[in-house]
Amino acid sequence: MKCYNCGCQLSEKDFCTSCGADVALYKRIMYASNFFYNQGLERAGVRDLSGAVISLRQSLKFNKNNVEARNLLGLVYYEMGDVVRGLGEWVISKNLRSEKNIADDYINMIQDNPTRLDAINQTIKKYNLALGYCQQDSLDLAVIQLKKVLSLNPRYVQAHQLLALLYIKAEEWEKAQRELKKCLKIDTGSTTTLRYLKEVEEMLQADENAKGDRKKREKVSDGVIKYQSGNETIIQPVGNRENRSLSVILNIGIGIAIGVAAACFLLLPARLNMANNAAQNELRAVSEQLDKKTSAIEDLEQQVKSLSEENDRLRTTVAEYEGDDGTMMVIDGLLGAVSVYMEEPDNTEKIAKALESVKPEEAGQIESPAFQNLYQLLMEKVGPSIANAYYESGMQSYRKELYEDAIRDFELAAGYDPSNGDILYDLGNAYRKQGNNDKAAEIYKQVIESFPDTEKARRAQSYLDEINNNAG
Amino acid sequence: MINFEEELKKFHPSLEIEDAEDAIYNQDLTDVADVLVGMMQQVKEEK
Repeated sequence: MKCYNCGCQLSEKDFCTSCGADVALYKRIMYASNFFYNQGLERAGVRDLSGAVISLRQSLKFNKNNVEARNLLGLVYYEMGDVVRGLGEWVISKNLRSEKNIADDYINMIQDNPTRLDAINQTIKKYNLALGYCQQDSLDLAVIQLKKVLSLNPRYVQAHQLLALLYIKAEEWEKAQRELKKCLKIDTGSTTTLRYLKEVEEMLQADENAKGDRKKREKVSDGVIKYQSGNETIIQPVGNRENRSLSVILNIGIGIAIGVAAACFLLLPARLNMANNAAQNELRAVSEQLDKKTSAIEDLEQQVKSLSEENDRLRTTVAEYEGDDGTMMVIDGLLGAVSVYMEEPDNTEKIAKALESVKPEEAGQIESPAFQNLYQLLMEKVGPSIANAYYESGMQSYRKELYEDAIRDFELAAGYDPSNGDILYDLGNAYRKQGNNDKAAEIYKQVIESFPDTEKARRAQSYLDEINNNAG
Repeated sequence: MINFEEELKKFHPSLEIEDAEDAIYNQDLTDVADVLVGMMQQVKEEK
């Protein structure tokens, strides 16, 4: 505590030890201020905000420089929703003590958030507007405005109280009670709130009693009991006591039946339809796949068929080449014969043996020009000598009357040397001797045609005439 | 029984932020200590 005169620190004496000023009363004023500050702090601690305001203002009346009391008062105003008043106290506090003052933090907390500050201002404006509506008797508008205010600032005690008052005026006791209870949560010591609440509870109690009486006594002529319960009007037939449990069970049963019916008639067909559609789609997809597969199978079967045919054709061709009397055999035989000729050109017998597999009619069918050239060359070289050898052999068999062997050798000789008329003529004779007149006649005709104006042709003609005569 | 009109009179408009400055300036901050000092000054002067 400092002296009011010189500003020196005071002692326990009733005078200032520095300037001698009488400080007894001054000290008592300071003590009183501190006392009320403590009281205000205690009340604020138990949420008796209205009581705290009274005590703190009292404290400041004694000592305006009690910065702690002023800061606490600002805090209490803020908590009650009166932000501007709280801000005012903090500003004054900051002016009284500019350094190490918590009021600085409180002021910054509000000013640093301009959106919140604007919302607070809007709240206050709406509250004032609502108050104006009340004074103009537009109570409904006032209620609407106050609800908006409380939605923005739920801790605004005055707004709660005004709204409760409006509900009391409209005799909406339960709503008024709700608002007053909210008030009490914020400020437990507000006499206004407590007074309103007492009134509301009395009215509610009276209502409860009246409801009980009205329930027994009130009866409308058409046989029903009618009474008010808050905002609701309840009408009940006389003497109709419900069997609650039975009606509950019955209602549940009816509800279940309706639910099942709804499911059957509304949900089930739709689900069946969906399932059906899904099955149809699947079936369609499977059918398409099946068609594709069938088509693929057909293609493959066609391929298999053509490949089989190709295979058969190739096998046949290979068989022709590889068979005993196939082309390969013929070519092989020719090459073998040529090889023997190259080594032993005079060994007619060996060459003839090698040429056994090269039958003239088959050799003629081979289309290779190289084969034909080689064959012709070899025939030119060895053909006549081989033919001669076969002819000699045939004649021996002919003389021995072994006509079959003779025919075979003459045929071979004729193949190697077609230009030799004797071979052909003796072949005809062999057929004739064998008794094969048709074949003999054919050979004789060849002789006549191939070797006209020769002795052989003349003889052949005579034999031919003889055969024809015998046949005729 | 609560009288609505009477109760309504007890409700006053709240200060808006724009009015805060004026309210602070116009606030009378004279306290008991100031009154005491003033009285003692007066007594001293009379003496």
